[in-house]
Amino acid sequence: MTSRAFGWMGQCIPFRDGETVASALETAGVYTLGADALGQETRYFCGIGACQCCLVRIDGVVREACITPARSEMTVETMEVRRD
Amino acid sequence: MIDPEVIVIGGGPAGIAAAIEVAGCGYAVEVVEQRDSLGGAIHRQPIKGVAPISQASGPKARWRALSDDFASARIPVRYRSIFLGVDADGLVLFENRLACSVERLQAKAVIVATGAVEKVLPRPGWHMAKVSTAGGLQVMMKETGRAPKGRVLLAGNGPLLIAVTAQMARLGNPPVAIVEAGDPLGRTGAGFSMLGHMSLVREAFGYLRTIYLRGIPWMRASQLTAIERDDTSLIAVVRRANGREQRIPVDRIGLHDGIRPNDFALPNEKATSVAGPVILRAGDCRESLGAFAAEADGRRAGRAVAEILSGGHERADLGCVKIERARRAQEVLSTLFAPVGGACPISSLPADTILCRCEGKTVGDLRSLCERADRLTGREIKHNGRFAMGLCQGRFCAANTAALMAEIWPQAPAPVAEDLTGRRWPIRPVSIAALTGARATSTEHE
Amino acid sequence: MMREDVNVGRQFNNARREAMQFHPPFSAIVIGAGIVGASTAYFLAKRGVAVQLIDASAPASEATGAADGAVSVASKRPGPMMAAALSGVRLYATLAKEGVFAGAFKHRSTFIVAASDEECAVLEAHSAALATVGVRVDTLSAANLHQRFPVLSLKARLGVEVHDDGHAIGYQIVHRLLTAAQITVDRNTKVDGLAIAKGGRSVTGVSTRRGTIEADAVVIAAGTGSAEFLNAAGVLTPRKGQLLVTERAPRLNAAMPGAIMSGRYLLSKGTQKMANSTPARGLGLVIDPLVTGQFLIGGTREEFGDRQSNDIDAVSRILAEAVALVPGLASLRLLRSFSGLRTAVVDGLPLVGRMPGFDNAYIATGFEGDGICLGPVTGKSIVQLICGEAPEVDLTPFDPSRFERSGEKL
Repeated sequence: MTSRAFGWMGQCIPFRDGETVASALETAGVYTLGADALGQETRYFCGIGACQCCLVRIDGVVREACITPARSEMTVETMEVRRD
Repeated sequence: MIDPEVIVIGGGPAGIAAAIEVAGCGYAVEVVEQRDSLGGAIHRQPIKGVAPISQASGPKARWRALSDDFASARIPVRYRSIFLGVDADGLVLFENRLACSVERLQAKAVIVATGAVEKVLPRPGWHMAKVSTAGGLQVMMKETGRAPKGRVLLAGNGPLLIAVTAQMARLGNPPVAIVEAGDPLGRTGAGFSMLGHMSLVREAFGYLRTIYLRGIPWMRASQLTAIERDDTSLIAVVRRANGREQRIPVDRIGLHDGIRPNDFALPNEKATSVAGPVILRAGDCRESLGAFAAEADGRRAGRAVAEILSGGHERADLGCVKIERARRAQEVLSTLFAPVGGACPISSLPADTILCRCEGKTVGDLRSLCERADRLTGREIKHNGRFAMGLCQGRFCAANTAALMAEIWPQAPAPVAEDLTGRRWPIRPVSIAALTGARATSTEHE
Repeated sequence: MMREDVNVGRQFNNARREAMQFHPPFSAIVIGAGIVGASTAYFLAKRGVAVQLIDASAPASEATGAADGAVSVASKRPGPMMAAALSGVRLYATLAKEGVFAGAFKHRSTFIVAASDEECAVLEAHSAALATVGVRVDTLSAANLHQRFPVLSLKARLGVEVHDDGHAIGYQIVHRLLTAAQITVDRNTKVDGLAIAKGGRSVTGVSTRRGTIEADAVVIAAGTGSAEFLNAAGVLTPRKGQLLVTERAPRLNAAMPGAIMSGRYLLSKGTQKMANSTPARGLGLVIDPLVTGQFLIGGTREEFGDRQSNDIDAVSRILAEAVALVPGLASLRLLRSFSGLRTAVVDGLPLVGRMPGFDNAYIATGFEGDGICLGPVTGKSIVQLICGEAPEVDLTPFDPSRFERSGEKL
C-alpha cells in the first residue's frame, strides 16, 4: 500500500482511503502545519472547517486540511511556501 | 440540470431529517454537504475498513434508521460543497470543491442545518500547535478509528469531555486527565433531575464507568489556567478545586467549553418565498440541543417549508414535544456542569492572552481599545481592533470578545457575537479562482 | 498653514465677523459621525468648541464604513473637485506627520492601466489633464509598466503612474479623529429636526427623542440622511457600491508598488457625470494592496440604492476583472464582501456650506465616492467657514444655495 501517499514538504505522507489530509499528517506526527500570513503557527483545531487554523496549500490552492480528503497525486505544502 | 425546489444545507441529523420530510411532501430537494459523507460531526462516518467508534446504542440506532430512510428517499447530495450564503438576488451559493467552482441555485426554499461549533474560552497558550478542540480530536477518532497519540489532556467544561474520554479509552489511549470546571457529582439536586432523562443517564453511566475502571483522573471544579511549552512537551497548568496549582506535562490538549449554534453570518430566517427563497434553520444551528432534538427539529423545518410552499403558514407547534424535552435535558445538564465559582472572567486573563487567533489580537488589545469615555459598538470593535475580522470570521472569538466587552461595560446592553460578525456572504472564505472560473496558479505570482 | 488655535479663530478678521455675524461658536452640534462629521467635530474640538457629535447609529456605520478608501486625485479632472482632492491628500500627509493619522494613511501611487484602444485614448488625455494642474504623473509603455509592476497581466498596454496618492480606511480615520480629540459620540440618537429660533433665521439646536439639544451652531453631515433636513427631494441620491476584501497574501501585496485602477474606471466615472446617460450599474475596477497584506477590490456604482447587500453577479464580475489584470489574485480567497450607499448630488458636486436661510446651520455632504479623500479637508474648511476664516478649500462651487438659484428649493 505504499502508493497511497501524498507529498508534504519533501516527505512522503502515507494515508488510508478516505482519510483527510489533516489526520494523515497527524498520524505521521506532523502537528505544526507551517505558519499563517501573520507568522503564527497553523495546526489542526476544530475538525469541521470552521476555525481556518489548519490551512495548507494543496496543489497550490489554499484548503482546510481537516475537511479535504487525501489523494495520492497531491502535493501539500505549508501556506508560506511559494515556488517562485 | 434543473434546480431543486428546496436546498438543505448540511448532512447531519437535522439536515437529513428535513430533506426526508420535504421529499415526502413531494418537493424536489437536494442536500449540500461539505464533507464526502453524511452524518455531521455527531455521526462522522469512519473511513473504509475502520470499525465505527463505540456509541450509545440509542443514537446509533436512530442514525441507522434515519440514513436508511434517506437512502430510500433517493435524495441527491452535493458532496464537498461549502455553503457560502444567499445573495442579494436570492441565489443560494456554494463552493463545489471537487469542480473548483462556485455554483448558484435558484430555489424556493433553503433549510440551513449547519450544526454547532464548540465554545472555546481563551486561555494563555490556547493557540499553540497540538492544542485542538476536544470535538476536533473526537471527529478525527471517529473517522480514523484511532485515538490521538501520546499523553492527552482534556480540559474545559461539559459532558462532551467524558464522552471523548471514554472513546479514547476504548481505542487504547485514555487521556492522562480530564480538567472539568464544573462538579456534576457535587450537584445532587440537578443529579436527581437527570433521572427524568434516562437515556442521558445511561449514556453518562457508560462513560463514567469506563473512566472509573481505567482510573482516569476526573479533576472537577478545576481549571486549565494556562498552556505552556518546553522543548518536548506542552505543560498544562491546572488549578485544582483546593486552589493548588498543578503542572502536567502532556503531548496533546483537547479544549471544550460547551457548544453553540454555528449560525455565524447565516442569512436571517424568512417565512415567505416573495423576493428570494424561504429560509429556515434547523437543528443545532438554531438551538444546540444535540442530535435527538436536531432530528426532530429537522422534521419540523421540513414540514414547515412544505407547508409554506403549498400556500399555508408555518406552524409553530410542529415537533415541539421532543424539542422541549431535549431543551429541559440540556438545562439539567448545564446546571449539573455549571462551573464551580461561576465562569472565569475573561478580563482576569493576562493581557497577552490571544482572544482573536486569526488576527493575533489579545485581551489587552481589547481592553486598551475600550479605554475611553464612550462605549464602542461591536462593529466598531471589529473595525478598529480587528476582532472577528480574520479568516474564521469570528467563529472562535466573536462570542468571547462580546463577553469581554460586557465585562468592561457592565452597564451597557450586553453585546452579542452577531454585533461583530454581521450577516454577509461569503460565510466562509471562498476561492477567487472558483468564483471567476480562473485557474488558481500554484504561486502567488504569474 | 493656518494655526488652529482658539485665539487665532477669535481674533481673526474682526470687521468681517461683525458684518457677517461670524462668531466662533462656544458650542456646536454635528449630525452624523461619518468621516465628514468626525472631521468637523475634530477641527471644532481643536479650537476649543464644545462639540456634540450625534449619530443615528454609530460612527462610520454607513458610507464611511463601506468605502474604498482612495485618498487620490488619480481619477479627477481639473476643476473644483481636483482642487479639493489635492488639498485633501496634502492634509492626510500633514495629519499623518502630526501623528493623528500615523500608520493609518498609506502613501502609494495609483497606476491607471488601459487594456483597450478606447481606454488608452481616454488615459492619454487624462494623464495630460492631470499634468496641467501639477500632478506628478509618469506614462509607462507596456514594457516599462511590466518592469515596474511585474504582477500585472500582459493585457495591460499602457499605464499612468499617479504619484503622491494614498489610501486610508474610512472607519479607522474616524476612530483616530474621535480618539485624538476625545470626542464622545451620542450613538443611536436620531435627530428629528432642527430647532429653529424665533424669526427663523437661526437654529438653537436639534430635537431628538431625548429632547432638544442646544448649541450655537449645527452642522449636518448625515450623508443620505441629510435629505430630511433639506426639504430637497431629488438633490441627493444614494448610489450603491459593492466592495471586496481578500485574505492576506503578503508577497503578492509587496509586489504591487501601488493601487491599480482600470482605465475603464475613468469611462465609468465619466459617464456618471453626464446627465441621462448613466448606466444602471457601472463597474470601475480598483485593486488596492492594503497594509495588512490583504487586497481591497472594488467596486460598483449602482443607481438603485435600496439594497445594502452583495450579489454574486457583481462579485464575480469584479473579481473576474481583477484577475484579468492581476492573475495572481486567482490563488487567493475572498474573505468578505460588503456594500454601502454613497450620497451623490445630482450635479456631481458635494453640498458644503451654509444652509440657505440660516446664519448658523451648515451642511457638508454629498461626496459620492470621494468622502474619504475629501472628508478631513472638508471638516477643516467648514470649521474655518464657521469661524469666519477663509476656508482652505474654495467652497464656492459646493455652495448649497446653488440649488435654490436653479429653482430646486432647498
